[in-house]
Amino acid sequence: MTLTRRLMLKLAGSALALSAGATAAFAGDMPAPFDNAGDVKIALVRYLSTGDFFQAYLSGVETQAAALGVDLRVFDSRQDAALQADMVDQAIALGVDGIIIQHGLTESMQDAAQRAIDAGIKVVAFDVNVENAAIPQVEQSDRDLARLALEQALVDNGNEFVAGYVYVAGIAPLDRRDETWVGVKAANPGINEVAMFGTLDNPIANSVANQARSVLQANPNITVMFAPYDEFAKGVKIAVDEAGLTDQIKIYSADVSTADISAMREPGSAWAATAATNPAVVGEVSVRTLAMLLAGEDVGASVIIPPTLITQDMLNDNDIKNMADLSAKLPQFAHADVSVPEWMPLPAR
Amino acid sequence: MQNTAVKIQGLTKAFGANNVLRGIDLELPKGQVTALMGANGAGKSTLVKVLCGVHVANAGSVGLYGAHYMPSSPAEAISAGVVTVHQSINDGVVPDLDVASNLMLDELAGGAGFFMNTRKIRAKARELAEAIGLDVDVRHEVSELGLADRQLVAIARAMAHKPKLLILDEPTSSLSAKEAGRLFELIDRLRAQGVAILYISHRSSDIKRIADRIVSMRDGKISGVFDDKPLDYEGAVKAMLGRAMSEVSLDIPQAGAPVLRLENMALQPDSKPFSLDLRDGEVVAITGLVGSGKSELADVLYGQARPAAGQMKLKGEVYAPRNQAAAIKAGVFRTPKDRATNAVIQGFDITKNITLPFTERHAVGGFIKHMSERKTTRRMVSDLGIICQHQSDDIGSLSGGNQQKVMVGRWMAEASNVLVLDEPFQGVDIQARRDIGAKIRETAKGRATVVMVAEMDEAVEIADRIVVMAEHTIKGEHRNENIDLNAVLAQVAGVESGQLNAR
Amino acid sequence: MQGNETKKARLTPMELVIKYGFLVLMAGLLLFFSLSSEFFATPRSAVFIFQSVSITGILALGVTATLVVDGFDLSIGSTATSALMLSSYVMVVWEMSAMWAVVFCLIMGALVGLVNGLLIVKMKVPDLLATLGMMFLLVGLQRIPTEGRSISTGMVMPDGRVTEGVFSPSFLYLGRHKFDFFIENLIPVSVVVLLVLGVIVWGFMELTRHGRLMYAIGSNARAAELAGTNVNRYKVLAYMISGVLASVGGILLAARLGRGDIASGNNLLLDSVAAALIGFAVLGAAKPNVFGTIIGALFIGILLQGLTMMNAPYYTQDFVKGAVLVVALVFTFALSKRGGAH
Repeated sequence: MTLTRRLMLKLAGSALALSAGATAAFAGDMPAPFDNAGDVKIALVRYLSTGDFFQAYLSGVETQAAALGVDLRVFDSRQDAALQADMVDQAIALGVDGIIIQHGLTESMQDAAQRAIDAGIKVVAFDVNVENAAIPQVEQSDRDLARLALEQALVDNGNEFVAGYVYVAGIAPLDRRDETWVGVKAANPGINEVAMFGTLDNPIANSVANQARSVLQANPNITVMFAPYDEFAKGVKIAVDEAGLTDQIKIYSADVSTADISAMREPGSAWAATAATNPAVVGEVSVRTLAMLLAGEDVGASVIIPPTLITQDMLNDNDIKNMADLSAKLPQFAHADVSVPEWMPLPAR
Repeated sequence: MQNTAVKIQGLTKAFGANNVLRGIDLELPKGQVTALMGANGAGKSTLVKVLCGVHVANAGSVGLYGAHYMPSSPAEAISAGVVTVHQSINDGVVPDLDVASNLMLDELAGGAGFFMNTRKIRAKARELAEAIGLDVDVRHEVSELGLADRQLVAIARAMAHKPKLLILDEPTSSLSAKEAGRLFELIDRLRAQGVAILYISHRSSDIKRIADRIVSMRDGKISGVFDDKPLDYEGAVKAMLGRAMSEVSLDIPQAGAPVLRLENMALQPDSKPFSLDLRDGEVVAITGLVGSGKSELADVLYGQARPAAGQMKLKGEVYAPRNQAAAIKAGVFRTPKDRATNAVIQGFDITKNITLPFTERHAVGGFIKHMSERKTTRRMVSDLGIICQHQSDDIGSLSGGNQQKVMVGRWMAEASNVLVLDEPFQGVDIQARRDIGAKIRETAKGRATVVMVAEMDEAVEIADRIVVMAEHTIKGEHRNENIDLNAVLAQVAGVESGQLNAR
Repeated sequence: MQGNETKKARLTPMELVIKYGFLVLMAGLLLFFSLSSEFFATPRSAVFIFQSVSITGILALGVTATLVVDGFDLSIGSTATSALMLSSYVMVVWEMSAMWAVVFCLIMGALVGLVNGLLIVKMKVPDLLATLGMMFLLVGLQRIPTEGRSISTGMVMPDGRVTEGVFSPSFLYLGRHKFDFFIENLIPVSVVVLLVLGVIVWGFMELTRHGRLMYAIGSNARAAELAGTNVNRYKVLAYMISGVLASVGGILLAARLGRGDIASGNNLLLDSVAAALIGFAVLGAAKPNVFGTIIGALFIGILLQGLTMMNAPYYTQDFVKGAVLVVALVFTFALSKRGGAH
C-alpha cells in the first residue's frame, strides 16, 4: 500500500518536474519573480464578461498567462460595480502579486485599486480610468479605430457625401469614437450628416435595424453609414438589405467578430470596412504589461494597442472566414508589438 | 330636531342613464334601529354607498345632527361618525393581519406616529373585543378565523369609532343563530347609547327581533315607513314589492324512485355515519347551522371531497366522482353558495355566465355557436324571470337577485340527475326567492333536488322533506306537512330527537 | 337580437372617450407624422411599421394568452432569445436543416411553457416568481453550449472545433423574403406570420369554448372550477401558447439577424408586455384581448417609426413609450371604472 502510494507520488513528482522543465526553457532568462513563475499569482477582475469581445479578451489573458507560466485567477462581477470592488479585496486577501482590472466604474474602483497598491500589489487597468498614477492604463485606441474607418470612408467616397450616424451618448468608447467623427466632419465640410440615431435595446442589431429602416425611409439620399460599433453596423446592414439599398450605401464600422466577417463577405454586402483591435491581443498585452510591472520595469502611464483596418476586399482576397483566419492571414491583427521586452515569452501561434 | 340623527332630503343618484336613487327623503332617529327593506335593485346598496362615501350623490342633501354631511370618501365618512359594516365579510378585514391589528386598523391607517406600540394596540383591541362579546385571541391572524368570527371582528372594528350612525348591511347572512344573538345584544346596547342604526336585511326573523321601525324602498324611492308598534311586517313587504305576497302553499307530490342513495356515509372520521335517499321529483332541504356539515356534504356530492366512510349509488351504480367535472358528467350539478366568490364571472355577459359549464354542448369543433347559446339563455331568462335589458348585458349590471337567478339558471339549463343548490336564496329579496323556489319545484320532475339552507323559513317554503344536520351527521328528517318547528329547531341545535322530552 | 336598439341607445361622452379615445389618438398620431415627414405616409413605411413590431407583436400575443388566465409570463423574452440561439446552434453547429431548427425551437418553447405551467399549478409557485426563475434559467442556459459566444458560421467552439454549418437559405427566407402585394417585394414573411398568428389566437380566444373558459378562469378561477372547468390544464395551456409564440418570435429574430446573438431579451419582454397592456385600452375592453394587443404593438411601432424619422434620440423614445403606456392604463383602470360599475 505504502509502496504504491510512494510510487504515485514519484510519478506525480516527475510529471511536475517535466512540466517545470518545459517552462524553465522559457523561464531560464526571465527576471524575478518569473524565475519561479509557478509561484506568481495574478487575478483578472472583470466588470463585463458576456459577449464575443470579452470571451476573446479572456482567452488572450489565459494564453499569455499560460505562456508566462503564472497562476491566473478570474473574478467575474457581471456588471455589479460593488461586487467588483469586493472582488479586488478578495484578490488582495488571496495574496496575489498582480491584478488586472477589466472595465468597471471609476467611482467604485478607485478606492479598491488604491487598497491593492497599498498592499504592495501591482495593478493594470483595461478600459477603466481609476485615476491612479501607479496604475497604467491598457487601452485600445477608440480614436484610432474611428480614424482608420473614416479614412477608408473618405478614400472610398471622396469628401462629399450624405451620411447617417449611429451613436448612443454616455458610453465611454462610443464617446471617444464620436470625438473623431466630430473632428472628421469639421475637417470635411462636404460631409452632410442628415440623421443620427442609435439604441442599446437588446438584441441591439434588431433594434438598430428597426431604427435604420425608418431613417432610410426618411432620408433616401444617404450613401454612407458610420456605425462605430459592430452591433450597430450589423443592424444597419439588415436595414439596408431590407430596403434594397445595398448598391447605394456603404457601411463603416469598428470592431470585428466571426459573424461580422461573414456579414461583410456576403455577396454585394454594404458593409465596406471596419477597424478593429484583436480582443485576444488586448488580453495578452494586459498580462504582459502586468508582468513587466512585476519585473520592476517601467511601462508608462498608458499602453495603447494600435487597431487594424479590415476591408471587405482584404477579407475576400485572403478568403478569411473567421477570427482565426484573420489572425493567421493578417499578421498585424494577430499580434501587437506592445509590451514585449526581450525576456517576454509569447503565446505559441 | 335633537331626536333626529340623520336627515336625508331629495337624494338622487344615477349611473349613466340609469336612475338608481330618485329622490330619497328619510329621517333616522337616534337610539333606534331602522330596518331598511327593499327588493334587489331597489337602490338599498346605492343608498348605503352614498352614505358611507363610496359614491357621491348627484343631488340632495344629508344632515348629520344638523350639520351638512356629504362624504367624498369612506375615510371622510368614518371620521364624520358614519360607520358601515359591509355584507361581504372580507371587505371588512385584512386576513393576513392579526385580530388586534384589524380592530385598530383605522387608527393605524389614520394615526400619528411611526412605530406601533404592539402592547397598547393589543390591550385596546382586547377591550373592544370584550365589549361586543367577541371571544377570540387578538393575536390570532384573521385568516385563521371562521366566517362568523371575521364578521364579528369587522363589526367590532366599526365599534372602535364610537359611531353616530352605524350601518349594518346584511350582517347576519353568514352568522349562526348564537352569533347572531350576540350581534343583536350588541345592537341593543348601542341603541341604548343613542346610536342611530340603519339595518339592512332580507331576514324577517332579524327584523322582527331588532327593528324599531321599518322603511321600505322600491324603485329608488321610499315606499313606506312603519313605526307603529307592533311593526307591520307584512305591510312593509307589500310596500317594498308594490303588492301583497301570497303565502306559499306546497303541494307535496309522491316521490319517485331513489336517484341517489347515500349509504353509511361518514363525512369525517369521527362523525356518526348516516344514510339518505334522494328521490326522483323530490325537493329535499338540508338545514343546519354554519359548521353543521352541510357544505361538506355538498362537496362530497359534487366530487370536491371524498367521504371518510360509506358510498353513494347513483341510479344503482356506484358513484364516486373524482372531481367536479366527473360529477357534472354523471349529471350531478351544484350551484355554490357565495355567488360573488364561487360563481359569478365578472366581465362576462348573462349568456356566457349561463352556458359556462356546458360550452361543449354549444360548440362545434370547439367553435361556439352563438345562436345555440343565445337560445338557451332566452329560455332561462324567461323561465326564471331574469330582469335585464338584453341577454348580452354584463352580469355586473344586474341586481343581486337577478345575478342569483342567472347562477341558478346556469345549472337548470341542462337536465340533471341530482341538482344541489347551496344557499340559493343568499342575498336575494323575497320576490326573487319565490321566483327561484317556484322554478325549482316546477322543474323537479326527472331529478332529485337538494337545497342547502340555513334559514328554516326558506326550508319550509321550498321542500318536500326537511333534513336537519348537525355535527356532520343527520339529526332528523321531517315531511314538510304540519311540521313541528320546535322539534326541528332543537335538532338544528344538535339535540337528538329522543332527548327532547327530557328537557 | 330585438333588444339591441334599446341596449346600444347612446353612449355618454365619457363612454365614447373610453371606447374610441385610443383609436382617435392613434389616428391623430398618424396624421401628425404624415404631415411632419413626407416619407411617413407611404405603403412601404406602413409595412415597415408592421415589420418592426412583428416580433414583439407575436410575443405580445403570448403575453395576452397568459394575461387572459390571470397569469403572467416574464420568461418570454428569454424564451425568444433562447430560440434564437437554439436555431442557430442546430444549423451552424449540428449542421441540420432549417426545418429541424424550427421544430426544435417550437418544441423548446412548448417545453418551457409546460415547465412554467407545472411550476405554477402543481408546485403552486406564484406566476411572477416561477417565470422570473425561468427567465434567469434561460438567460444562463442559452450561453452554456457556446460559453457565452454568439453563434455564426466559422466560429470556434469551446473545444476548438471550427463550425462549418450555415444558416440555410430557406431559414433566412423567413427573415428576408418579401411577398409582392400590389408593389413588388412589399410584405415581409414576419408580418404575414404576425397577422396569421393574430387571427388564429384571436379566433381561439374569442370564438372557441376554450378561449371562453380561459377568460372565465382569468375572471374567477374558483367559479370556473366549480363549473367543471379543468383550470390547471387551461393555465398550463396558456403558458405553452406563450412559450411557443415566444419561440416563433425567436425564430424570426434569428432569420432576420442571420446569427445567434447573445441577448437577454428583456427589451422584447418589456415591449411586448407594453403592447398587451396598451391593448386593454383599445375599444374600452379593459381586459386582455388579441385585437387590442395588435393595435397596441402597432401604436408603439408608429411612435418609434415617426420619432426616428424626426431624429429623436432613443431616450425620448423610451420616454414616449412609457407615457403611452401610462395613458393607456389610465384609460383602462380609472376612466372605465367610473362610468359603469355600481
